Amino acid sequence: MERSASDISERQSRFDLKTVLETSRMLIEARDSDFVLENLLFIVMGKLLTTKAAIILQKPSNGKHVIVKQRGIDQFGEGDEVTFKLNREGRKQPHIHFQDQSENLPMLNENMDGTLFFPLRTSNHHLGYLFVNKKANDHAFTDAELEFVESLCIISSVAIANSQLIDELKGTNRKLDQRIHELNTLFDLSKEFNLLADRDKITRIFKFALLGQLFVRTFFLIYKTPDEISLLASSGMNEEPAQSEIQSLFEECPVDIMIPEPDCIEKHPFLDKNRIAYLAGVSIQGDKVAVVGVGKRVNGEPYTETDYNFLNSLANLAVVTIQKTFFLEERIDKERIEEELSIAKSIQTGLMPNPIPETEGLDLAAITISSREVGGDYFDVVNTPDGSTLLAIGDVTGKGVPAAMLMANLQSMLHVLLPIEISLADATGRINELIHQNTPSNKFITFFWGKYSHSKRRFRYVNAGHNPPLLLRKGSDTFEELSDGGLLLGAMQTLMPYTQTDIFLDQGDLVVGYTDGVNEAMNPQETDDFGEERLKKTILKNRNKSASEIQKAIIDDVNKFAGQKLDDDLTLIIFRVS
Amino acid sequence: MKNFRIEHRTSDGLDVLDLHGELDAHTASHLEESLKTLINSKKPYIIVNCGKLDYIASAGLGVFMAYIEDVREIGGDIKLTNMNDKVYNVFDLLGFPTLYDILEDERDAVKKFASQS
Repeated sequence: MERSASDISERQSRFDLKTVLETSRMLIEARDSDFVLENLLFIVMGKLLTTKAAIILQKPSNGKHVIVKQRGIDQFGEGDEVTFKLNREGRKQPHIHFQDQSENLPMLNENMDGTLFFPLRTSNHHLGYLFVNKKANDHAFTDAELEFVESLCIISSVAIANSQLIDELKGTNRKLDQRIHELNTLFDLSKEFNLLADRDKITRIFKFALLGQLFVRTFFLIYKTPDEISLLASSGMNEEPAQSEIQSLFEECPVDIMIPEPDCIEKHPFLDKNRIAYLAGVSIQGDKVAVVGVGKRVNGEPYTETDYNFLNSLANLAVVTIQKTFFLEERIDKERIEEELSIAKSIQTGLMPNPIPETEGLDLAAITISSREVGGDYFDVVNTPDGSTLLAIGDVTGKGVPAAMLMANLQSMLHVLLPIEISLADATGRINELIHQNTPSNKFITFFWGKYSHSKRRFRYVNAGHNPPLLLRKGSDTFEELSDGGLLLGAMQTLMPYTQTDIFLDQGDLVVGYTDGVNEAMNPQETDDFGEERLKKTILKNRNKSASEIQKAIIDDVNKFAGQKLDDDLTLIIFRVS
Repeated sequence: MKNFRIEHRTSDGLDVLDLHGELDAHTASHLEESLKTLINSKKPYIIVNCGKLDYIASAGLGVFMAYIEDVREIGGDIKLTNMNDKVYNVFDLLGFPTLYDILEDERDAVKKFASQS
């Protein structure tokens, strides 16, 4: 049976309508842009009997047109950029014949005769174009065919716009997720770091968090302590940097994040050998304390602004925590030293007689006051086996622990020699030899000692370079100085023997021995010292008081003179024959 | 310890680490120890089964970054399996699927090791 032309045409348009409807239903449900594009391309190629077609979309980021799907086109591949110069009006046409706008359209084919571009757009956005080559059988497109493709383009455009929006939302969501994850990492680490004082553990956690979060394999951390600049941690390095590289990189790297400059790489070959991509200088309160280096990302993606910020925040967090551990160690060290010093002080105090022993026929007082925990002043009062009393006063050069050690040494020598049958002069010579041998040449001791025998009222003394003790005889206003003996201890070998001198004391005669903490005490203006004259005046003024009252008067006067601030050790030994 | 735990077993001649609990900055060093032990005893075919892993932080991922190269240098690999969605999401966010085999199930990893050797 013959069918009329109008019958065929009607059937045709019914078929078209059905296709458009089906496509429209499918596209409304589609969330995958790839599916939308494939669908558009294949329906059009099938319907128009063309072997070449392409979909070109404009990238929202840079406005450039890119071929996203194509079939049968040899010159271009998917992902290639092409150029359209159509203006707003030109894009408003439902379809554009290439020959009408050839100067404004890209050549997608060698022969562009009879080809068409269908703009893809929503009511307010231009999306791109559908390119269709002429029919394979060279027939012209009918109006119905064009209308069909235009309808399809309108429906597809909506679907494309939707899926683009969804992709964009997905991207934004992912970025937000990444950001949240970064913040979580920082938050976790700051909690964790607060609990840690183990530097090794802190640097390890820092390293792992950095490697994991930035997706890098190479990392190093240069850290500056007051003593040195060193490589505190690293990972994935092919070659460790030399100390000179560490030093100069630390000095050159600014407090910022940067890509190493070519001359910096040339000076520090390890950067290139380990493919270090970024350097970050970290400062705490304006002082540069660390330099962090990281390699390229393993997936080749460039670092973003957010990554810099993360690197910066994490590095700061870790470096502050590391610094805290150093401070903590320093404090522990300091506390340990202070504790040791306080033990040393109690040992030193134990080396001097306390209480001062009772001595036959003498009213006696002695004291030492240290300006520090430990000092180099020394006095001693010992009753000897032969019934005499040994009185000693000394001052080691310098202050603090070294002086205290030498003072302890002198004390032990004195006590070892005490029971031995040896003259005071010979004993002084021996002590000098030992100290000279055992101590550096810039360490000396000024030393005065004497032995008082009450039965003979004899005081036999040797003065080895010490401030001469002052003797004030009863009834006299002038002082005698007990200065004979020899050189200070430890300065040189005993070439000349020390001399011992005997003086005889009567009841009421007073002897005051002192160290230079007394006469050299400075006034607060540092313009004048206390001096021997002031000392003598104080003694004269208090001559009738007891030895301990005289001692107190001298200390009070010195303190008053110095404004209560003594900066040297001060020792007194005072006795009067009773 | 936030109940993080690693169990080590062997399956078809491969070493499997079962991770339990939360792998974070605090517990990352446990995983490091386990991986180091395997590498030092030249056992480079490692499956990390994350079936019981509830949470992973960046520091946990960093341990994998630090040792993957060592494992591959001695001819092996670390394959990750049985992740829950939350854990996978973290791996994915930081780009790990481009560098690591992340597989549905431990058996897939066993098969993959078999086909690669």
